[in-house]
Amino acid sequence: MRLTDVGHYLRASGLDHTHLTQPPRTLVKSPRRRDGELPTSHLGRAITVKGVLDTDGELYIHGNVQGQINADRLVLGSDGYVEGDIVAREVRIGGRLRGRVFAFTVALDSSADITGRIFHHIVTVEKGAKIDGRMPWRPLNFFESFQQPPESQS
Amino acid sequence: MTMFTRNEKSPEPNTRPTDATRETTMTTQSSPPEPVRSHSATPQTASYNAPATGASVISRALKITGQLESTENIQIDGEIEGDVRAVSVKVGSNAKVKGSVYGEEVELAGTVDGKIEAKKVVLTSSARMTGDVIHQDITIHSGAYIFGHCRPEYGKTENRQPSQPSLVKPKEAVAAR
Repeated sequence: MRLTDVGHYLRASGLDHTHLTQPPRTLVKSPRRRDGELPTSHLGRAITVKGVLDTDGELYIHGNVQGQINADRLVLGSDGYVEGDIVAREVRIGGRLRGRVFAFTVALDSSADITGRIFHHIVTVEKGAKIDGRMPWRPLNFFESFQQPPESQS
Repeated sequence: MTMFTRNEKSPEPNTRPTDATRETTMTTQSSPPEPVRSHSATPQTASYNAPATGASVISRALKITGQLESTENIQIDGEIEGDVRAVSVKVGSNAKVKGSVYGEEVELAGTVDGKIEAKKVVLTSSARMTGDVIHQDITIHSGAYIFGHCRPEYGKTENRQPSQPSLVKPKEAVAAR
């Protein structure tokens, strides 16, 4: 199977984004404070991932990701590229993103290049960040009761 | 004429310094991050610069549904549903991969439900392999579990298809006759 067949593969095996039936994730409080630090995952520069990424811990992306990402804390490095939605408690973006962000805390670095919406409660934007899209503020309860990102209307 | 010469002259000194400054800024942007990497004064900068290489680590808390492809190494400690392609793949003792693993080198200490296709395969004592192993060079430690065939066919048949069709085809051919 080639990488281009992934979407088909995901649908065929019933592993579409909608399959995620995880317990409601709170995007306000970190789960890892309870039992120490949750492990960190690194997706290096050389990697290309197509599919759904789901973690309770930290995720650093320096490579290429196409698909939805659920994490507690996500860092998109300056050479990283994500095409898809990001759901996390805390997001820091220094790379390119095409898609939406649903995060309680969002920090955009000067090297960020974003096309899409950024749903946030607290946001920091560094001088030089490129943002093409809206940045809707949402109240606390939006993130507390957040489950899955709604279908994008575009 | 004078206007032209002026215009030609004046942008040049302007552009040259800007180019120079650009280059210097580019170099200052591209080269210092590496020194910074080693220092990593604040945790925030460290987070960015942590992987100096293109290698990837999939921790035990991460689950990926889909495909991974890397031109460098991958260490898997989490759960993957889908295929993995990399130069060197290490599947940790608590890791689960449901899908095929392709690489130059594959070291398995966890669970793979699918296929391994690699030049060099190492199955450690905690390995649990369900499916075929296509290799050129294999090491199996005592305690490793394999349910499937080991075939020294790496690089001989570039068949990306599952092995079943090749077994079925002769039968069909016989039936047809």
